[in-house]
Amino acid sequence: MMRVLFERTGGFAGIKLSASFDSESLPPRQARRLEKLLEDCRFFRLPVRLEEAAPSPDRFLYKLTVESRNCVHTVHAGEGAVPAEMRPLLEWLTAAARRR
Amino acid sequence: MPACCIVPPYILQSIALKGDKRQQAAAWATLTDSEQFRGGRRILTVLAPLASTATGTKRRTIYDARHGYALPGRLVRAERDPKSKDVAVNEAYDGSGATYDFFYRSFGRSSIDGRGFRLDSTVHYGVNYDNAFWNGRQMVYGDGDGEIFRRFTVALDVIGHELTHGLTQYEANLNYRDQPGALNESFSDVFGSLVKQFKRRQFSRDADWLIGEGLFLPGVQARGIRSMKEPGTAYDDPLLGKDPQPGHMRDYVRTIDDNGGVHINSGIPNRAFYQLATRLGGYAWEKAGRIWYLALCDKLRANSTFADAMNMTVRAAGELFGINSKEQKAAREAWAEVGL
Repeated sequence: MMRVLFERTGGFAGIKLSASFDSESLPPRQARRLEKLLEDCRFFRLPVRLEEAAPSPDRFLYKLTVESRNCVHTVHAGEGAVPAEMRPLLEWLTAAARRR
Repeated sequence: MPACCIVPPYILQSIALKGDKRQQAAAWATLTDSEQFRGGRRILTVLAPLASTATGTKRRTIYDARHGYALPGRLVRAERDPKSKDVAVNEAYDGSGATYDFFYRSFGRSSIDGRGFRLDSTVHYGVNYDNAFWNGRQMVYGDGDGEIFRRFTVALDVIGHELTHGLTQYEANLNYRDQPGALNESFSDVFGSLVKQFKRRQFSRDADWLIGEGLFLPGVQARGIRSMKEPGTAYDDPLLGKDPQPGHMRDYVRTIDDNGGVHINSGIPNRAFYQLATRLGGYAWEKAGRIWYLALCDKLRANSTFADAMNMTVRAAGELFGINSKEQKAAREAWAEVGL
């Protein structure tokens, strides 16, 4: 069981994009992909705040909460401070949220 | 780029000063991209002489990120190079040129720092990237998502908006949060719109006062991203939702999203500018634009609020056109119209 709450604010347009995903209601292939992406960036070990020293104009702001059987973790990330290993996860969630 | 760890900075600085065009671009990019040179304004000031030339010199450099996230990417077009086959490259080149020309001809300002700072732009950033931004050193543009947004270089006011973020960084340096952040956004919309009006030689009454017109793909219920004339009316679409911008202080939005709603509450000072420009008539950059420009360069500070912007633009109007001149009265009326 895994639940992911994804939220993106900011950006030039300032239009919020958000969606939630539940591994039990996702098609199995997509659920496995999402779990793999979370593992690849060691999501539960990421710091709560990944922020630039000062916010940069027009960049995206992400808020990501993941609940698994025995833990919950939230990461607030400014786009300019996103580590490379987290990019594929954010790309996947952004594309999936757009399709909703 | 790993060269930052191998080539010592003093050698790069020398290349940045003395190398040929492409070498200079690469050295400059490496210098500004390496970790030790991070930290924005202070460092930009230290390195500014390297990127500056004599007043009035326009220098543009366009890079291609090839759908990655590394900046600036591969150099694809420098000043006076022939046209590229890539339309986004040419739009970024022409758009940053039009923005340079606007600030130079309207206010006598050479580039974002007033000293000919080289204008760097990266296109094809990221995957389905529906955004454009200023990262403290350069402009960056995505290709859009193929569903809602087209490539961001398509709209000249978007290019003017991003470049103005650079200019603001050198002037009032408004904090990108809450009211100072909404002012920062608003100045970018104001001058972005003026770049477009200047290019089209439009009177204030004939301009559309839209930001990001042409950015949406067909089928999206949107005229643009923001309306300076009527904030809150730019779009209303099943997928996007409705434009949330207020045009009056009574509708000011309190939120923690978007650094305190910097792209939302900017509607209020945007509309104040529209009100002033249409009250004064003629070309918006000649009077209203000069008033806003003087306030941004000489009066506002990092933590300035909407009330400060009102006071300082009214003061600027007095300095430029006389105390109790019709321009100064119009500035007072424009802010009163938005509840300040």
